[in-house]
Amino acid sequence: MDRELLIEIGVEELPAAWLPGLTRQLATRLDARLTEFRIAADAQAESFATPRRLTAHVSRIAERQEDRDETITGPPVSAAFGSDGQPTPAALGFAKKQGVPFDQLTRAQTSKGEYLAYQKRHRGRSAVDTLPDVLAGLLRDLAFPKQMHWDAMLDDGRGELLFGRPIRWLLFLYGGRVVPFTIGRLPAAAGSQVQEIASGALTYGHRFLATSGRAGRSIKVRTIEEYQAKLAEHFVVLDHAERRDRIARDVELHARRLGGRVQLKEHASLIEEVADLVEWPGVVAGFFPTIFLELPAEVLATTLVHHQHYFPVVDDSGRLKEAFLAIVNTRPTDERVIAKNAERVVTARLRDAKFFWDSDRKVTLESRLERLHTVLFHKKLGSYRDKAERIEKLARWIAADVFNRAEVADQAARAARLAKADLATEMVFEFPELQGTMGGIYAREEREPEQVWKAIYYHYLPIGIEADAPPSAGQLGIAATTWAVVSLADKLDTVAGLTKAGERATGSGDPFGLRRQTHGIVRVLMDLPELTGIDREVGFRQLADMAAATVPPTVGGWDSDAAVTFARERVRFALEQRGFPDTIVRGATASSGDVVPLRARRVAEALQAMRASQDFQALAVLFKRVKNIARELNVHATLDRQLLTEPAERALLEELDARRPRIQRATQSADYRQALIDVAGLRPVVDRFFTEVFVMVDDEKLRTARLTMMSELRDLILSLADISEIVPQTE
Amino acid sequence: MVTLQQLIFKLSEFWTSRGCLLQQPLDIEMGAGTMHPETFLRVLGSAHWNVAYVQPSRRPADGRFGENPNRLFKHQQFQVILKPAPDEVQQLYLQSLEACGIDLRAHDVRFEEDNWESPTLGAWGIGWQVLFDGQEITQFTYFQQAGGIDLSPVSVELTYGIERFAMALQDVDNVFDLEWGAGISYREVRHRDEVEQSKYAFGQVDMPAAELNALHRALFDQYYSLAEALLRSGLVLPALDYCLKCSHVFNLLDASGGIGVTERMAYILRVRHLAVAIAKKWVGEDKEKENL
Repeated sequence: MDRELLIEIGVEELPAAWLPGLTRQLATRLDARLTEFRIAADAQAESFATPRRLTAHVSRIAERQEDRDETITGPPVSAAFGSDGQPTPAALGFAKKQGVPFDQLTRAQTSKGEYLAYQKRHRGRSAVDTLPDVLAGLLRDLAFPKQMHWDAMLDDGRGELLFGRPIRWLLFLYGGRVVPFTIGRLPAAAGSQVQEIASGALTYGHRFLATSGRAGRSIKVRTIEEYQAKLAEHFVVLDHAERRDRIARDVELHARRLGGRVQLKEHASLIEEVADLVEWPGVVAGFFPTIFLELPAEVLATTLVHHQHYFPVVDDSGRLKEAFLAIVNTRPTDERVIAKNAERVVTARLRDAKFFWDSDRKVTLESRLERLHTVLFHKKLGSYRDKAERIEKLARWIAADVFNRAEVADQAARAARLAKADLATEMVFEFPELQGTMGGIYAREEREPEQVWKAIYYHYLPIGIEADAPPSAGQLGIAATTWAVVSLADKLDTVAGLTKAGERATGSGDPFGLRRQTHGIVRVLMDLPELTGIDREVGFRQLADMAAATVPPTVGGWDSDAAVTFARERVRFALEQRGFPDTIVRGATASSGDVVPLRARRVAEALQAMRASQDFQALAVLFKRVKNIARELNVHATLDRQLLTEPAERALLEELDARRPRIQRATQSADYRQALIDVAGLRPVVDRFFTEVFVMVDDEKLRTARLTMMSELRDLILSLADISEIVPQTE
Repeated sequence: MVTLQQLIFKLSEFWTSRGCLLQQPLDIEMGAGTMHPETFLRVLGSAHWNVAYVQPSRRPADGRFGENPNRLFKHQQFQVILKPAPDEVQQLYLQSLEACGIDLRAHDVRFEEDNWESPTLGAWGIGWQVLFDGQEITQFTYFQQAGGIDLSPVSVELTYGIERFAMALQDVDNVFDLEWGAGISYREVRHRDEVEQSKYAFGQVDMPAAELNALHRALFDQYYSLAEALLRSGLVLPALDYCLKCSHVFNLLDASGGIGVTERMAYILRVRHLAVAIAKKWVGEDKEKENL
């Protein structure tokens, strides 16, 4: 009979940021282990996590492992029987070795011929005997961003057990009964204070809350229903979504009581995070002196949200009020007791921030450039002062020569020059997550125009410390172009400079964030028209080459091709993130010379739209043949048109002549859809050509002419996309 | 009302009743109680050890001339080392809060991820900051490495920030308003020290800045040579004393802005080099003793 499996790993407080990943891992790893141990092929475990427990549950698990059949082959049949038809000693020996009479052997066909064989059946072990191996595997499988030694071990032959935090109890039930399991302790620590953890039928409720008696006592359970009910009774909300929804509801209620509201959408990630900091969410309202409302909203928000995980309360017009909401892991007896302490922390931090705000503004950003000398960017690339000078140059060039917006070149250059100055302010020293933002605010205070201060303010985006999106058109206003210029100049200098200095992103690590920075460049270029109104397909190579040339030659050598290859991977990643299938991504990024993110995106969109067309699909298949055969061309020759006389090849030649200018025109005006339609129209003549014409004739001149036409056809199509990539897999 | 000195009594009483030895502060300037040999050296090697002590901790860069209600040149840490870390350590810790008069049910006490790392000591650990109604009152760390050496068994370090903890207990907003002993304020006991030490740390000394800097650099070099010589002589504890002297002088140099970025890193690496050598030497001797 199938029975229920329930595992709860009781731990000391796990970091909130780990819980979503661990919840997923628990289910997939348990499923995989149950499959591996042949207990449940499609277990579909459900899993939960709170800071103090990792829980997995499978409703039905077989009582035994499935039996497993194994075919053991012996000698070949040709050597198994003598001329008299009797088994040879080798054949009898094989039967003996398997411990069965000769007549129980069968025969098996293999690629090498027919062999004697024995069908061995392995009886499955009982689930109770197998589940300890499943749990041991699960404990080993869970991957943590950082794991720790805690003097624990398993007797699975692998010794010490590292984990995310120490394990304090194990609830391990199969069909309501405890499955015996033990986590041992290393001899160096074991003793009366450090003991084995043995599995049991016990769980524990909230640390501090209990309806009666002392909190934290053990609770006996048998089934998942009982487990969930008992936890709820003992102030533990097991399910993340339930905790989150409860928080969302409660902060709204509290905010309304304070005559304001909480911007839940803006704080979506905060809600998710605080939901994983608590087992029993409660809300406490606190206040701070109104004088701190003079601080920029960004500074107030970072103090409350980033440092304290508190929700700011705003009035109906979205302006911050002198109030906040704290999520607590308790049901307060007196809210004010907790609030007073929370207020003390917030007030102390805001007082510091106010001090920085007042003192930072006594010095201009321009005069801070001097101090940037002492802030090192990279040992080979110098200080942030050096970086500021480089990105100032780059920004002027990108604005004037790449974007053809000479009228904002001065503003872009000024913004780039000042972009890093806030690294020398006290506010950013204390609140690093405000880098860029503070520089923008201080520039605004100094009455720099919007094109300048906003470009500074947003220049880390689309890859900021917390944000992962470019600023919106509404946020940027008239500063869209200068923002894009400074954002690109900064990242290009980082990527080209660090690459030149010999830093690399490898499979195992990317300490300088080269992938992320390149991804930022790609995202700006890929959506340039939407972000800035500038409809230009800007290639990566010229930008990276210029950025590399701005770095002193003494830093190191520059491999332009390698940089383009690296960027192409990022373009592919960006397209995949947007949901394009792998085939289209490869088709749109096949060109080897340069990578042009916006063009790749548009070609991908065109391929996506065209891929259902039958002509197009058929041509994609034919194109594979075109590519293959064009490879046979080993001389470079101009096409001798006189030699092509067969009607089918004349037809192809004429069609090519007719369509080439149309395809090129459409490509030049970035109408890739039209270009692909024109390409697809080649299908009948290409098809006919392959049916009627034999390319690889003995006559060398004729062969060369035909191959040359093939290679021209190939190049014409490849200049647009490698459509052979989108051939359906079954072909 | 729990005065600051009562808080120290209560913590000492609690932890000694749980098997800790009560040690005394090291009589040398340091930035954190972790640098005390009772922590830095005792967590190395295999011998079990439970100890508690108060350690005044000097952080020159945090000096605010006695004007900031929350920041101090010198604050006090109550430090507990339990080796190996007992299974019940979180419960024990919470009981210590109750022993100080905290009603856990009335407050929001949380363990939030905060891993500790000291590049100068080649030490790091996994743990939490303990938040008491949002205020950090304790750093709770399972030591993983010290002096570059992997630790076995794992020790747990509990570092209570005495001033912050007392501010929460006494419900005051300014550290100088704390009651140290009956009727005597923190201001009366420590304010002048804060003012004068801050002036020193930020170079308000009757000596040109360059000269003061040079003096500190020379001190660092002298302490460093002495520490090396002591270490060569196998005198681990005196060597640690002078390693700590180096660390403090470096902190003073850093606070007065007397060193650039690259040089700063070089100083940190020198102190670390000493700390690692000291730890290695200590463990070697530790092992020899066990073999006798």
